[in-house]
Amino acid sequence: MPDHQPQNGQTAMIGIGEYRVGSFPMMTIGLGSCIGLTMYDPNLRLGAMVHIMLPESAGRMDRPGKYVDTAVPLLVQELVALGCKNRSIIAKIAGGASMFEYFGTNLNIGERNSEKVRILLKEHKIALAAEDVGGKCGRSVTFLPANDGSVTIRRADGTTSSL
Amino acid sequence: MKLSIVQADAIQELGNIGAAHAATTLSQMLGSTIEMSVPAIRMVDLSQLGQYMGEESAAMVAFELQGDIPHGGYILFYITRESAVRMTNTMLGLTEINRPLSEMDESALLEVGNIMVSAFLDATAELLGFIMLPSPPSLTIDMAHAAMQSLIAQMQEETDEVLLFSTELVCEEYKVDSDIIMMPERSTLIRIIELLEHMMEPVTQPIS
Repeated sequence: MPDHQPQNGQTAMIGIGEYRVGSFPMMTIGLGSCIGLTMYDPNLRLGAMVHIMLPESAGRMDRPGKYVDTAVPLLVQELVALGCKNRSIIAKIAGGASMFEYFGTNLNIGERNSEKVRILLKEHKIALAAEDVGGKCGRSVTFLPANDGSVTIRRADGTTSSL
Repeated sequence: MKLSIVQADAIQELGNIGAAHAATTLSQMLGSTIEMSVPAIRMVDLSQLGQYMGEESAAMVAFELQGDIPHGGYILFYITRESAVRMTNTMLGLTEINRPLSEMDESALLEVGNIMVSAFLDATAELLGFIMLPSPPSLTIDMAHAAMQSLIAQMQEETDEVLLFSTELVCEEYKVDSDIIMMPERSTLIRIIELLEHMMEPVTQPIS
């Protein structure tokens, strides 16, 4: 079950490990090594967003949105249940940064997250339309399914870009 | 994991002692008085982290906790971007507030973070009789949530909630507002609680 939906078209804030499915605006703030993954079906004008933290669930099932290997199948399953076709779903990803240099050298979780998402999307035959990943900066992501699935990214310095 | 009132009080007292030492060093560096808050202890579910750490731009000097437990979690010196500029201005004799942060600022921030966190850990370690050493520091100036989230993602023990243990240090004169935030691994937290509980046990006198 996706986390509860906002009322009256308000923006749903998606915390670490959470996900939402629908046509209302969705947002994740402050992605560092985490990944904001969005999936959008232009035919049904429906979307889903998840805030993923780690690449592997290692068998944990209680928070499927937290791990790449459970989050990707989860979003696909939710959208397919609503009538979406895998081949029409468009995925976009943002995040996967390495915020701290010293700690990042031995354990680049951001990069592992991005790589794992690409592999899983391929396995599920979902097209990855755009990505803004890596680097050293944090990102906030706004996803508007009702606006052709637009994805807007904002950085700490105030610059924005679209995917 | 839920802390009892007694456990939370004990950790708060530990924070008081650590923060008092850190405040003294900051006071010396700025040549001004530092006010210190009562340490706040919050067990935060990861999905709710955004309520405590938002999009605001901050300078964060992070350290891994090392010593008796090799990967004990993280501790960081947190200062909002505006406060960071005012602080380094005071240290470097500058006045311009609306300026980008330079390499000079970054080394000053690393240095301040290093001195304060070392003072904090020295004091708490002495009390606990348990060695906690900071790793070399790492600085980022970015969204607070993005930085904290990245540290939590690389904690050794997989968890859905994290203990945020923070003490605010404020310098009224220069409008500098900073925090020391400790985020221990679960096993480190348990170890610290055990040591604190042991200290609070009444001393039994041998009967002669």
